Formats: sequence, C-alpha cells, structure tokens
Amino acid sequence: MDLTQGFGARSGVVGPVTGLESLNFSDEFRHLVATMPPENTGGSFTALLEMPVTQAMELLHFTDSSSSQARTVTGDIAPTTLHPFGALTFPSNSLLLDRAARFSVIATEQNGNISGETANSLQSNSGANLDRVKAEPAETDSMVENQNQNYSSGKRKEREKKVKSSTKKTKSSVESDKLPYVHVRARRGQATDNHSLAERARREKINARMKLLQELVPGCDKIQGTALVLDEIINHVQSLQRQVEMLSMRLAAVNPRVDFNLDSILASENGSLMDGSFNGESYHQLQQWPFDGYHQPEWGREEDHHQANFSMGSATLHPNQVKMEL
Amino acid sequence: MNTYNMVKQRFIKKWINTLHMLDSSIEHPLNVTERKNAIRLSSDLAIAAARSGSTVWSRALISRSGNKTTNKPMARRILKKARNRMKNRCRTLRRNGNFTAKVGVRKRTEFLKSLVPGGELIDDKDYLIRETLDYIVYLRAQVDVMRTVAAVDLVTGNVTNDRRNK
Repeated sequence: MDLTQGFGARSGVVGPVTGLESLNFSDEFRHLVATMPPENTGGSFTALLEMPVTQAMELLHFTDSSSSQARTVTGDIAPTTLHPFGALTFPSNSLLLDRAARFSVIATEQNGNISGETANSLQSNSGANLDRVKAEPAETDSMVENQNQNYSSGKRKEREKKVKSSTKKTKSSVESDKLPYVHVRARRGQATDNHSLAERARREKINARMKLLQELVPGCDKIQGTALVLDEIINHVQSLQRQVEMLSMRLAAVNPRVDFNLDSILASENGSLMDGSFNGESYHQLQQWPFDGYHQPEWGREEDHHQANFSMGSATLHPNQVKMEL
Repeated sequence: MNTYNMVKQRFIKKWINTLHMLDSSIEHPLNVTERKNAIRLSSDLAIAAARSGSTVWSRALISRSGNKTTNKPMARRILKKARNRMKNRCRTLRRNGNFTAKVGVRKRTEFLKSLVPGGELIDDKDYLIRETLDYIVYLRAQVDVMRTVAAVDLVTGNVTNDRRNK
C-alpha cells in the first residue's frame, strides 16, 4: 500500500518511530487507505502529495483529533504510531521549503549583487577553488555576458562562468574586497566536474580582474591582490605547458614516426573531440576540412601506416624531462 | 558561440600541416626524445599559427620555434612575415625605467614573463595579463586536442575509456 510505503520511508527520517510491523491500523487508517486514488504509485511523498486536498486535510485533522482515540485503541503504541502520520505532512513541506529556500537565496544573491566583486576574492588557490565553487545549471546572466564581451582580447572562450556579482559596482570597493565565496554557474550542457569548475572559476576571476585593471589608473601594481592573481595565472600556464610536454611525450612514445595519422584519427573522432562543453554540436563541420594548400591529404596512406604502427608499450614519463622546459 | 571549438579546429588544421612539413624535413630514425621535441615543436607552431594575429606571444613562439628547426625553408614557409613583424614591434616597446612595485608582484610578473613566450618584451603589466589570457586559451585548446589524439589507440583504433569518462 502506498501509505505503508510512506510510513516506512518516513520512519527512517523522522527518528523515533516504530517499525511498520508495530503499526496497528485502526479503522480510520484503513478508510483513508481505501479512499486513496489507486493510481498513486511510487514512494512516500509522491503518494501523499498527489492525494487530493480533502484527503490531505483529513489526514491532518485525523492526526489532531484522533490522537487521543488512538491511545485508547492501541495502547502503548498510540503516541508513536501517529508520529509518522503527523510528521508526514511536515517533511514533505520542508523538502519543498528547502528547494524554495535555495532558489530564493540564489535569486537574492543574483539580484542583490554581492559587493566585493568576486574576482577580488584572490585568496583562493587552485585547490581551494574546489571547495568554494558552487555550480548550478542556470540560464545565462545577461549582465555578465555583457561584461564578458567587453574584453579586448578577441579570442575568448564562450563557456564563461557566470559570476553573480557585477563588476561595475565594485570600483569603489575594489581595494577592500576579499570575498570568501565564489558563486559560479555552469551553462547548460557544460561539464561540471571539479577540474572544469576550478578552471572555470579561475578563468572567471581572471577575466573579472582584467576588467578591473582596465578601469583603474595605471598605478595598479600597488593593489594587494595582484600577486595572487598572478599566482593563479602562473600556475595555470605552468600546468598547461607541462601537460603539453607530457602529451607530446606520450604521442612520441606511441608513434614510431612523427607524422602520425592525425587527420584520420580526428576524422573518426569528430563528435567526441568537439565534445568538450558543446556536446559535439559542430562535429559535422569537421567533415570537410579545406586544407590550406600546403599539403594534400593522402588518405590512401592510412592503411599502410596502420600496419606499420606498433605499440611501444606504455609511455614512461621521466620527471627530469618534464622539468626540462620549466 | 563556438569560439573555443573554432580555436580547436584551427589548431587541428595547422597541426596537421606542421606535422607533415616537419616529417618531410627531418631525417629518420629518431629516438623518443627527438620525436617528442618534434611533436611539441609542431604543436607550438600550430597554436601560434592558429592565432596568427596581433599577439606578441604567437609571434614570439613562431620565432622561438623557428630557431629550433634546422630547416630554413620550412621555417620561412611557416613564419611568412610574422617573424619580421615581431622584430619590428620589439624595437618600439620602450623600457619603463622607474618600476616601483611590491616585491611579490614584481617577482611574479618576472616569472610570468618567462613563462609566456615573448613576455619579456612586454612592459605594460596590463597588456602582459591580456596576452597571458589569450595564450591560455590556445594552450588549453592544444592540450585538449593532444589529449584526444593520445587517447586513441592507434593499433586497434579503439578509444580508451579514460577519455570517454572525462
């Protein structure tokens, strides 16, 4: 029965509730169960919430009025049996309240424009970003979109994080801003794993910082946070360069010749290569590559190379080679 | 809206070209280190060529890579006029004599300049950061593409699982 399922589910949450088997259904219980619409399936709260309002009200009244009755009928079990019933209505509301509260908090933060533009929360290192970043799928924030488009550099990545505070307001409070929190939102369909989040947080902070730098007088090297911004930038550049080094080593170890079948590999990996954050929406564009005329692709070579290539085993990266470029 | 994807596509195109060019001009056989250097070189040239704009880092990278290759005609083909343009721009950058800054910032900017190709030629810190951010975008494209390629098992043609789960 759905109500029994509901009792069972709630008993785990409410706390001091007796087990199902100890519940003695009085006649009123059975009446309610019988009158519940048969199509109510599924778990605890859905059954309750789908109940017609009248029946829900009945439940409420039932718990209020019949507590004394139940005590007389079911002896010692009386007070505890009604706990799940009475508590059943409230947790369902509290769940909704939780979600509503969360949304309202986010909404207020979004509208209220946290002072201290988050780019100035420069205390966080790369590791700490994972703790402070909150990501939720949301619509794009047009305000942030505008400020992103104002950047002078032409090649900006489109998957920017949406910082909830405005940068325009922070001109007055720029020196004292040390926000401990960075709220970021991922666009729909973007990867939300920790790595991307941290990098997106870093990029968003850097971008916002850049905007500030542009607005300020060229005495910006006196600002407290510049060193930390530079720290982050340096870490990011270093890590990317190291990755390039390691990846090229890996590619060199696998391929016995330098010009491996890049074109054929990528032709077969179109959808997944462009996956990134855009779920392969442009992979069909890769099918026709207008080569620049430097070299004509020889598709016939591919089969020969496949036979010639043999795996060299796993690539072992020597740490000294990694440090070589640094 | 697909700016990053376009960056990656341009990088892929250029990388194919540079790989072929490098392979035709390098004598075989090569050991792993030399192959790695060649791949890295071609990849760096590819991102710089994909940018091929008004950034200092792209031109500096091309110039730096051009010095590493022994084959002059190929280097000239890749560089086109970019190298000359960069040399001209270097001379126009004036040295800022009195640079008073906090020690931490100063050291970090110096280090950042050493990381970013052509950074040591930039005096304006604001411009340095702009260059760095642009360079980061292309570095990231480079890493993404290379990681995808490296994940492909060339012998069997199957894609390993770790990339799928990214």
